[in-house]
Amino acid sequence: MAPRWKWKGAEAKALAEPVSKTVSELRSSLTQTEALGFLSSCNVLLSVESEEAELLDRCCFGRLVVGAEKDKRWIQLSFEEAFFLFYKLKCIKICLHGRSLENEVDLWRSMSSFKQDFAILYKAYSHLRSKNWIVRSGLQYGVDFVVYRHHPSLVHSEYAVLVQSIGGNDRLKVWSDIHCSVRLTGSVAKSLLVLYVNRKVNTEKMNLPLCLEDYTVEEQTIRRWSPELSREDETRT
Amino acid sequence: MAPRWKWKGAEAKALAEPISKSVSELQLSLAETESSGTLSSCNVLLAVEPEQAELLDRCCFGRLVLSAEKIKKWIQLSFEEAFFLHYNLKCIKISLQGRCLENEVDTWLYMKSKRPNFPMFFKAYSHLRSKNWVLRSGLQYGVDFVAYRHHPSLVHSEYSVLVQSGDSDRLRVWSDIHCAVRLSGSVAKTLLTLYVNGNFKGEDVNLLVCLENFTVEEQTISRWSPELSREDQSTNSKQHVPNVSNLNTL
Repeated sequence: MAPRWKWKGAEAKALAEPVSKTVSELRSSLTQTEALGFLSSCNVLLSVESEEAELLDRCCFGRLVVGAEKDKRWIQLSFEEAFFLFYKLKCIKICLHGRSLENEVDLWRSMSSFKQDFAILYKAYSHLRSKNWIVRSGLQYGVDFVVYRHHPSLVHSEYAVLVQSIGGNDRLKVWSDIHCSVRLTGSVAKSLLVLYVNRKVNTEKMNLPLCLEDYTVEEQTIRRWSPELSREDETRT
Repeated sequence: MAPRWKWKGAEAKALAEPISKSVSELQLSLAETESSGTLSSCNVLLAVEPEQAELLDRCCFGRLVLSAEKIKKWIQLSFEEAFFLHYNLKCIKISLQGRCLENEVDTWLYMKSKRPNFPMFFKAYSHLRSKNWVLRSGLQYGVDFVAYRHHPSLVHSEYSVLVQSGDSDRLRVWSDIHCAVRLSGSVAKTLLTLYVNGNFKGEDVNLLVCLENFTVEEQTISRWSPELSREDQSTNSKQHVPNVSNLNTL
C-alpha cells in the first residue's frame, strides 16, 4: 500500500525535512538545557522550553499538557518514548521522587515494575524509531502502535503494529482474532504489521537494559488474500 | 441500537411472518419426508425437496449447494445447524458413511471429535436460536456468529457474537477488546459475548445431559462515550468502561 499523504505538496515537505534531521536538532537542544523528566506510575512528565516543545511535536514525542505557565511547557511522555530519549538519544534526565536516576538500570527496573511488558514493547518501539518511523499509540485501532512515514500532519499512518513475544502473546491465537484485526486495519487503510520479539532466556541480563542487545525482532505483515487480485497472469512479476 | 431494516415495509413483513412460524412449518415438512443428512468432517449435506430448500432458506439454515439435479436440492449445514435440526427440532436424521446414526449421542461424539469446541458453540447457537434469533457465521467480522432479528434479506444483523468459556483465547487483553468493539461499531453492530459456563473437559461432555447443565451469560460491550453519557441524560452515571450491561432484549 502506498503512503497516503494528507495534502498536495505534503510529500515534498516531508522529503525536505527528514525526521532524522529534526531528531538530531531535538537531541542537541535537549542535551544543552539538560531537560528533566519526572517518572510517575504510567508516564513521564518532561519540562521543556517552548522551542523544545515545538521540536518534540515535530518529532512526535509525547503530548503537550495544557498549562498556564508561560515560559515552561510540560510534555507527557509514554514509558517507551521517555526511555528512548533517555537511553538511546541520551538527551534527557529522569528523576523519581525528586531523586535523579543516574543509572539506566534503575530506570529500566522502575519502568519494568510499573509495566510488565515494558521490555518487549520498548524493543519494538526502538526498533521502529531507529528506522525513523514515527510511532504513536494504536489504542483506537486495537493494536499496540501505529506508525507513520513522517509527521501525522502530513501523512496517514501506514501500519498498525501488534507486538508479540514468545510465551507472552495473548493476541492472534485464534482465527477470529486474526480476522478481526485484519478487517479492522484494512478498513482504516493500514497494513497489519506483527513484530515478533524473540528473547533469549538469559537470567543474568534479564533485569538490565543490556538484554535489549539479545532481543531480535521479526517483522511480518498479515493481509487478506484475494483470489481476484492474485491471478497468475497479473503476478508474473 | 434499533434494528436497521433493509427497506421500507420490511418490518411489517417480518412481523407478519415470524421466524418461529417458519421454523414450525420447516419442522413439520422435514419430519414428514424423513430427511437425512450426510455427515462429513466439517459439515452436513442434506438432500431435500425444492419446497423444503425454500423453507430452510426462509429460516436461514445452511446454504444451497449448486448442482444440476432438478428434483433434489442439496443444502450444506454447519455442525451447529445440523445438530440443532436433529436434536432440538428432531426433524432430520444424520448418517455417517451410509449408516444412520440412531443415537444422538453418537452424532454428538463424532462432531465433538472433529471440533473440540463444538459443545460450547452448540450451546451458544441453540441458546440464541431458541429465542428465535437468526444466526449466521461471523467469519467476516472476526467473531463467531452474527445475529439477525429476522431474515437477512429484511434486516441487518444487530449483534456480533463472541462465544467464550473460562479458558477462551479472545478478549484477554485490552487491545483485543478495543479491536472487537471498534470493528463491531464500524459495521453498526453491538458486540455480544456469550459466556458458556460448564465443565467442557470432564467426562460429562460426552453426555447430552450436560447441555442442560451449561448456563449462558449474556453481556454486551460498547464504548463509553462521555458526551453521550451526561448525567442528565442517563441516571445511571456509574457505568464502567467499557460499558458492560446485561442484555435484556434477548
